[in-house]
Amino acid sequence: MKKEIASFKVNDRAHEVLITPNMTLSELLREHLGLTGTKNACGAGECGSCTVLVDGKPILSCSTLAIAVQDKEILCIEGLSRGPELHSLQEAFIDAGAIQCGFCTPGMIMTAKAMLEGNPNPTRDQVKEGLGGNICRCTGYVKIIDAVMGAADTLSKGGK
Amino acid sequence: MRVLKPFDYFEPGTVKEAAQFLTTHGGKAQVLAGGIDLIPRMRIGKKEADYLVNIRKIPGLETIEASGANGLKFGAMATLHSLEASKAIQDDYPILYKAIHQISSVQAKNMGTAVGNICVATPASDVATALFALGAELTIEGVDGERKESIQKFCVDYGRTSLKENEIVTEVFLPRPPAGTGSAFMNLIRTHADIAKVSIAVAITVRDGVCEKVRIAVGAAAPTVFRAIKTEAALKGQKVTHEAINEAAETAAGETKPITDLRSTAEYRREMTGVLARRAMEKALQQVKA
Repeated sequence: MKKEIASFKVNDRAHEVLITPNMTLSELLREHLGLTGTKNACGAGECGSCTVLVDGKPILSCSTLAIAVQDKEILCIEGLSRGPELHSLQEAFIDAGAIQCGFCTPGMIMTAKAMLEGNPNPTRDQVKEGLGGNICRCTGYVKIIDAVMGAADTLSKGGK
Repeated sequence: MRVLKPFDYFEPGTVKEAAQFLTTHGGKAQVLAGGIDLIPRMRIGKKEADYLVNIRKIPGLETIEASGANGLKFGAMATLHSLEASKAIQDDYPILYKAIHQISSVQAKNMGTAVGNICVATPASDVATALFALGAELTIEGVDGERKESIQKFCVDYGRTSLKENEIVTEVFLPRPPAGTGSAFMNLIRTHADIAKVSIAVAITVRDGVCEKVRIAVGAAAPTVFRAIKTEAALKGQKVTHEAINEAAETAAGETKPITDLRSTAEYRREMTGVLARRAMEKALQQVKA
């Protein structure tokens, strides 16, 4: 197996990493860049915990090879806040109490971010549909949907 | 989480280059498109490969091209999301839109391709079921040139296609449904994040109350998605009365070869094939009238 030095753009920062072809994007983020906000859960593309944005679209980082996203813009949960200032979605999840164990939260927030960019004022049903690929085993989803609706409201009033 | 076993990686710039690489490495190389099936299966050891051939950089494979009266074609790297978002597919091939739209995972639709889905050859593919009913024809390319094959000939058996080790599916062509065609897609599913127990897609062309042409595709009720050809033959040339539809639905149920697994029993799948087939035919006929 060939090793190579590959360049990545993660959260607007350039990185050079020694990679092998069998390294997944979630391994790159968590184990080589120390960005452990992105979670690995099922490893089978079922749960959405590992969701990050590649060129603005939510994808599953556990099932994506790092080598295949060298030329792309990668955004993960650590890229949302600006220093201590949280993103509106993060604030909304805290305010709504949409976090229990927290394992699904980074994936939920990344999926929600992409959804709100495409549809800034979704209905509750549209939020449910948009988060269809993210599983939460604690909350029953009500507060997660509340949070996304709240964030949509803040963002449409000019929040960040 | 388990690490993927080591492999080497190649990104060909042309279909020919890909085919040559596959020829050189025989069965040890796997084609990678969206990766939503292949990578998880490699992780659990259900699929092994010494080489992965990622076709993402081959120009033109992600295109979706509607050519009006002729039909529509899309390439091997067209994602489920891009197909779902295509106005031409929404307007003229609504059962394909519906089969994709009801898939719950946005992530899977952003990564996954329809061609990758067909090549996995799972009998429970909703997308393949819609494509069977639309009469999809595949373009398959290898070192010796290209061949065309209907989707039902392509899907040989459970998890098995007619694809040779050194061939790739590059394009899918959908003929334009003739005037007077109605269609419907339905599936029976516990939750939309799950796989269907049974899925049905119907496209029926009616003139003066007589069935001129019909395709009835059934998913998850046999080792492959299949066309209920006895049912189709019985309907063709008949007046589409209530009785004819009910009889056809029963014939369709009889054409299944279902299994019992964690999602359903064989008996239930067979029964429900009849029920869904009837409802789908009725819905398709309503569209013809409208």
